[in-house]
Amino acid sequence: MRNLIRSLSLGVVLALAQPALAADLTDVNDIIDKANLAAYYKGTDGRSEARMVITDGQGRTQTRQFTILRYDRADGGDQDFLVAFSRPADVRNTVFMVAKHIESDDDRWLYLPSLDLVKRISAGDKRTSFVGSHYFYEDVSGRNITEDSHQLVDTTDQHYVVDNTPKDPASVEFSQYRVWIDKANMLPVKIEYKDSADRLYRRVDVLEVQDIQGHPTVTKSRVSDLVSGGNTTMEFRFIKYDVGLDSSVFTERSLRKLPRQWLRRPKS
Amino acid sequence: MSECFTPVTDRRLQPLVLAVTLALGSVQPLLASDDWGDDSWSDDRWGEEANASPRWHGFVETAIGARLDEDPALPDDDLSLADLRAQLEISDYVGENRYSLKADLYADGVEHGLHGELREALLDLGPSQNTDLRIGQQILTWGTGDLLFINDLFPKDWVSYFAGRDDQYLKAPSASAKLSYYNDKANLDLVWTPRFTADRFLDGERFSYFNAMSGQQTSAHLVPIDPEDTPDNGELALRLYGTVDSTEWALYAYRGFWKQPNALTAGGDAYFSRLDTFGASVRGNLGAGIANAEFGWYEGEDSRGDDPRVPNDQLRVLFGYEQELVAKLTGSLQYYQEWIQDYSALTRTDGNSPYRPDEHRHVWTLRLTYRMLQDNLILSWFNYWSPSDEDLFMRPSVSYRFDDSTSLVMGANVFSGNKAHTFFGQFEDASSVYARLRYSF
Repeated sequence: MRNLIRSLSLGVVLALAQPALAADLTDVNDIIDKANLAAYYKGTDGRSEARMVITDGQGRTQTRQFTILRYDRADGGDQDFLVAFSRPADVRNTVFMVAKHIESDDDRWLYLPSLDLVKRISAGDKRTSFVGSHYFYEDVSGRNITEDSHQLVDTTDQHYVVDNTPKDPASVEFSQYRVWIDKANMLPVKIEYKDSADRLYRRVDVLEVQDIQGHPTVTKSRVSDLVSGGNTTMEFRFIKYDVGLDSSVFTERSLRKLPRQWLRRPKS
Repeated sequence: MSECFTPVTDRRLQPLVLAVTLALGSVQPLLASDDWGDDSWSDDRWGEEANASPRWHGFVETAIGARLDEDPALPDDDLSLADLRAQLEISDYVGENRYSLKADLYADGVEHGLHGELREALLDLGPSQNTDLRIGQQILTWGTGDLLFINDLFPKDWVSYFAGRDDQYLKAPSASAKLSYYNDKANLDLVWTPRFTADRFLDGERFSYFNAMSGQQTSAHLVPIDPEDTPDNGELALRLYGTVDSTEWALYAYRGFWKQPNALTAGGDAYFSRLDTFGASVRGNLGAGIANAEFGWYEGEDSRGDDPRVPNDQLRVLFGYEQELVAKLTGSLQYYQEWIQDYSALTRTDGNSPYRPDEHRHVWTLRLTYRMLQDNLILSWFNYWSPSDEDLFMRPSVSYRFDDSTSLVMGANVFSGNKAHTFFGQFEDASSVYARLRYSF
């Protein structure tokens, strides 16, 4: 009997302690910071191969394949990205590079191999199609969290639900977007975008999360254009964090001569 | 550099190109069904494994262009473009060194013949951690202008550009060695082209040109005197560049020759006169867009400016700005000027030529790009307009990507001018419309 009571009270203590251990976050900026780090700043660097299947409203498909290198100059701060395309034929060896800045506009370049041309792209059109897909350039490198005001609208068993409103509405095509952040790993798992008529027109869904070197990582996601009916599914493979990249990889040198050492698929 | 393997002076090429253009349009769905070769994403065919053998890539393309006007100076002026072309390329690593080969084979129904061209045959070496060496046939580009070149004196192919071939053919290859050195502060490129490689200029073959000596438009084949093939007559191009905050800066120097034969010997033969240039450029974010500025000092053989047969020194400048205007529509504007030095010496000595260029040649360019249908349809406008020369060159185009393999480009090259001798005005009768259908693999 004493044992039973002891067990029961232990159970009650544990049950009571549970919410205290995983206390819900209440500060929306804290939530957004953690989600931003979980989604875009795993390790200090990373390399991954990616594939996109782009399906238009009529069901016709196109494909893109590329390798992404990322280097964090500071956690939650400035980052460098290099995206080297391998397929299809007409974009093969095209390279896209971004120096993402928190305090100022990003620097972006595109290298066109057939002309040996290093083209600079303006920071203003971040919310345009990333190589013909339904993803935007900004989806790949991450939207600067200081560009929106955030409001925690709901905390469910599984998710933090946050509404985000742009500080400069003229710079974006949405009037608001809602993010569902998984409480277990702080990854945004669903995003819904509304236009100025309050119409839902775009949705991002995370379809698969895997543990890579201890970091929960999105390995499959989809963007749906709810107006045209088209969508793009993106899948990541051969992900590796902390491979030893440094900022010297993210220079014009790598655009003209691909950094094979880092793009090469890791052996393990 | 383009070598004529088999001179086929046969006009049957023109209908052939046309027939293939039409045929390719109906064949492509069959070819496109190949997709990636692996529909299943669960397998491991994500691409070339480290030990996999290299794959051939390339495209086949058929292109046809029709003139909008009669050119009385040309004997045959039906078509401006009739190409049936295949490009093949392969690249791989031998140890840590990469090689790349890219070659075109094309039947040309306008200049009549089957041509082969080596676009790329290069080897990348890494002599040290901070040094790259690229040797062989290669395309080279630097500078900040958009279809305007000041410090980029690498060879251009103006014939392809005017005829409506793909933009990549504006840049012609050269057999060069490029040595690059990198560090945190600044990077250095040194390009040595042992044999002078001129632009592919308008020589009367496909397009007629204005001859200031005769004062007439002519299709007389222009065969200039090349610089003697000596080590001294090679070309050296140098660029020192870096980035401060978000702004890219560069200093340039070049020793070689004018890339077009714009000098005349005492006997009246065209030749490439000596040219040394130095210049600088900056490029960076400005407002919501990208701004760039570049200048170049062109120093030739005629430093006093009093020899009308040899180009005077020039100062060339350009300013550009590009930004997204509304969603999916990008606009850019450039201002460019050529300022002829010692102009009064030229006016004293050129016998009051009615074709004397203005001291200041001003050019504006406008580019508009509108992307639709998930970037599969791109409407593009580019034009040069010179208020001083009173001439205009407009390049509208529409490109459509059917799928990952097949694309169609239709466009026009339209010249207009008030004077017979100005840069674009002389090509008024060369205006054309064109279409290109390409299957890439």
